[in-house]
Amino acid sequence: MRSLLHAVLLGLLGAGIVHIVVLLLVPEFSERDAWSRLAMASDLYKMTRLDAEAGGAPVVKSVDPLFYAAACRFDLAEGMVRVKAPGKVPFWSISVYDRGGHNIYSFNDHSATAGVLDTVVLTPAQMIEVRKDLPEELQGAIFVEAPIEEGVFVIRSFVPDDSWKPIVSRFLEQSSCELQDF
Amino acid sequence: MLKNAFLTLLSLAIAVGGGGASVWYALKLQDGVGAIRIGQWTAFPDIGTPTADPYSKARVAREGVLALGQAEGLSFIAERDSGGEQLKRQCAYKIAGGFPTARFWTLYAADQSLGVVETGTPRPAALQSYQVLRQADNSVVISVGSRPAPGNWLLTSGAGKMYLVLTFYDTPIASSTGLSDVTLPQIQKVGCNA
Repeated sequence: MRSLLHAVLLGLLGAGIVHIVVLLLVPEFSERDAWSRLAMASDLYKMTRLDAEAGGAPVVKSVDPLFYAAACRFDLAEGMVRVKAPGKVPFWSISVYDRGGHNIYSFNDHSATAGVLDTVVLTPAQMIEVRKDLPEELQGAIFVEAPIEEGVFVIRSFVPDDSWKPIVSRFLEQSSCELQDF
Repeated sequence: MLKNAFLTLLSLAIAVGGGGASVWYALKLQDGVGAIRIGQWTAFPDIGTPTADPYSKARVAREGVLALGQAEGLSFIAERDSGGEQLKRQCAYKIAGGFPTARFWTLYAADQSLGVVETGTPRPAALQSYQVLRQADNSVVISVGSRPAPGNWLLTSGAGKMYLVLTFYDTPIASSTGLSDVTLPQIQKVGCNA
């Protein structure tokens, strides 16, 4: 009887250890994280709609029904990435996520010059290079310094009512996510 | 000999089974570590940030969430009414009170996976602050239910568990210092279709 109690206590102690180990390993081994889901849906540097409106099930969970969203994956090891979207919508916001889905940086249309979405994501090392000689065409862009390599860029845009649906859809479909040569 | 083998197996079974199940259970709870509760509403202000706790990180990785950034907004989820009862899609509720400062907010009725409730009509189960009618004191009263209601009506349909998701966009409360003195509207049960 003593030995049975001993075994159960040992088991509970082991359960505690397993709990911590599993918890810390879940992010490492998850194949259902946002990056993996996006990788199944599209290539690097390709804007993909996240909401269900574009047909099919939503790629990434918990998107506000009154929002449309699009995302592209990038790899800063290949160079800096520039994201642009033409046109005016009631509200847009940007988030840059690292490979594990952590929000590294976010901003919204209040931060942009005249509300136009034009932004460059780059590493601090690339930022130093760009600062030496800022090209004319990047003057109005918002620079996001992110100390990461692989990441996800998400644009969210508010759809106040049905009449805005085509306008917001066009805004996201015309958005581009490109490797920027420098 | 056999007894020793049995006891070892028992310990291992408890360790692996208990450890795995407890992680699964902890991640399934809506109201987990890192949550902030204001009235009936729960928010995870740190979710998706590099400083989040391990439970939030695991939840983000497992569910493929891309959490809203601080400059974007903050989501609150309600699971129970002010009487402490589970929200149900077949019941009618009244949401009343003041809303904290934000450029705008959205409110939607969600099912268990936190996707919006399908209403089967062109009217979505969602409202936003630009379209609501306000009281004289700038507070908002919203009727939630499957039957049309005067004023602000949030359409729901079907039966089963329901969650209400209230998201504030471009708001100072998303920065954690602003969360201490925020008040959110009350959710009162009006009645149920049996």
